[in-house]
Amino acid sequence: MWQAIKSVLAAFLGVQKDERRREDFRSERPGTFIAAGLIVGVIFVLLVAFVAVMAAR
Amino acid sequence: MRRLLMWMAVGVTLAALTPMVLANGWNMPEGVTAVSRDIYSLHMIIFWICVVIGVIVFGAMFYSLFRYRHSRGAKAATFHEHTSVEVIWTAIPLLILVAMAVPATATLKTMYDPSEADLDVMVTGQQWRWRYDYLGEDVAFTSNLSTSREQISGTSEKGENYLLEVDEPLVLPVGQKVRLLLTSDDVIHSWWVPELAVKQDAVPGFVNENWVRIDEPGIYRGQCAELCGRNHGFMPVVVEAVEPERFDEWMAQRKEAAQQEAMSADREWGLDELMARGEQTYGAVCAACHQPDGSGSPPAFPALAGNQTLLDEPDRHISTVIDGVAGSAMPAFRNTLSPVEIAAVITYERNAWGNEAGDTVQPSEIAERLAAQDE
Repeated sequence: MWQAIKSVLAAFLGVQKDERRREDFRSERPGTFIAAGLIVGVIFVLLVAFVAVMAAR
Repeated sequence: MRRLLMWMAVGVTLAALTPMVLANGWNMPEGVTAVSRDIYSLHMIIFWICVVIGVIVFGAMFYSLFRYRHSRGAKAATFHEHTSVEVIWTAIPLLILVAMAVPATATLKTMYDPSEADLDVMVTGQQWRWRYDYLGEDVAFTSNLSTSREQISGTSEKGENYLLEVDEPLVLPVGQKVRLLLTSDDVIHSWWVPELAVKQDAVPGFVNENWVRIDEPGIYRGQCAELCGRNHGFMPVVVEAVEPERFDEWMAQRKEAAQQEAMSADREWGLDELMARGEQTYGAVCAACHQPDGSGSPPAFPALAGNQTLLDEPDRHISTVIDGVAGSAMPAFRNTLSPVEIAAVITYERNAWGNEAGDTVQPSEIAERLAAQDE
């Protein structure tokens, strides 16, 4: 799972090592990546919302 | 050495051109409010950030294109990735964007805070004029283009403020926070005064807020900035900022005039004075569509001169002016014109350009009708 989250974070930045990408694609379970993507996505949205609320104070 | 000199010459030329461009009015104005100066400095900071990035990126690109050209035997590198370089060129723009967002957000916050205003003015866009209501003061008027028809048609020389002048400017006190409430009676307009850094849409059915606190007395000109129909270019905005004492004097005068106008609605008016007043109102409000000679532009804007329906049915004539015509370009003037102005303009239309109804419409009659409608 930690591996998947790291890959998702790399995808958010748009930079990933080729060997890591190959490794990820060897994985048999896409569900882990989808779950990690959703979790990090929600956290990102909440983070932006929090910054916006703080800025509006 | 020669190449270095050439690049220096290019740099010096560019540096010398910049102030020229800024001084030429090609740049946005610095304006006369704290907000407009904030916006201007943001604009300049971001402009220079863009210039620096542009010079670095295009400099590196053109240098590489030239230095490592094929004819000099350059060989392409074939590596696939370089993670740390990629992280750096992603992180630097991210940091630059965040650094630009922080002051920009702070300015936006100030701009969108119209609370604790000293004065509220309702700004209503209409095809094709602006109406200003000083809320709580019982002072309201429309502001019409005052550039002469001769200048527009080209038969006389164009003045200095061609299409940027009005009969009655919006008068505001300097140093006070003025809240602007913008809406529209018909289509979307946009109230734009560059020196005040205000460009706000006026949308029918919505009230948008904005505010200004003007630092320097003066006359600031702007235009409608949302294409709103045929005379979009003929509804300028003029703001006259005056010292608070002068503003109070002006306000007292306006109030007295409004009271007198209301009182004069009670008395009997003669045909001649109604005609004289009506001609003024017609010129300011009606002539844009129905033409100064009443010939209109059929079929959109019917002719009033020689219009038999108008002459035969005075009652319908009155209700057309008061309520407008639904589904057409004819607006309702119930709230825009005073009873005196409505009576005068109807009388004028019935007796001008060869129309000979011979009757007058009295302001008291209009006032009664309006009162009955309000109930």
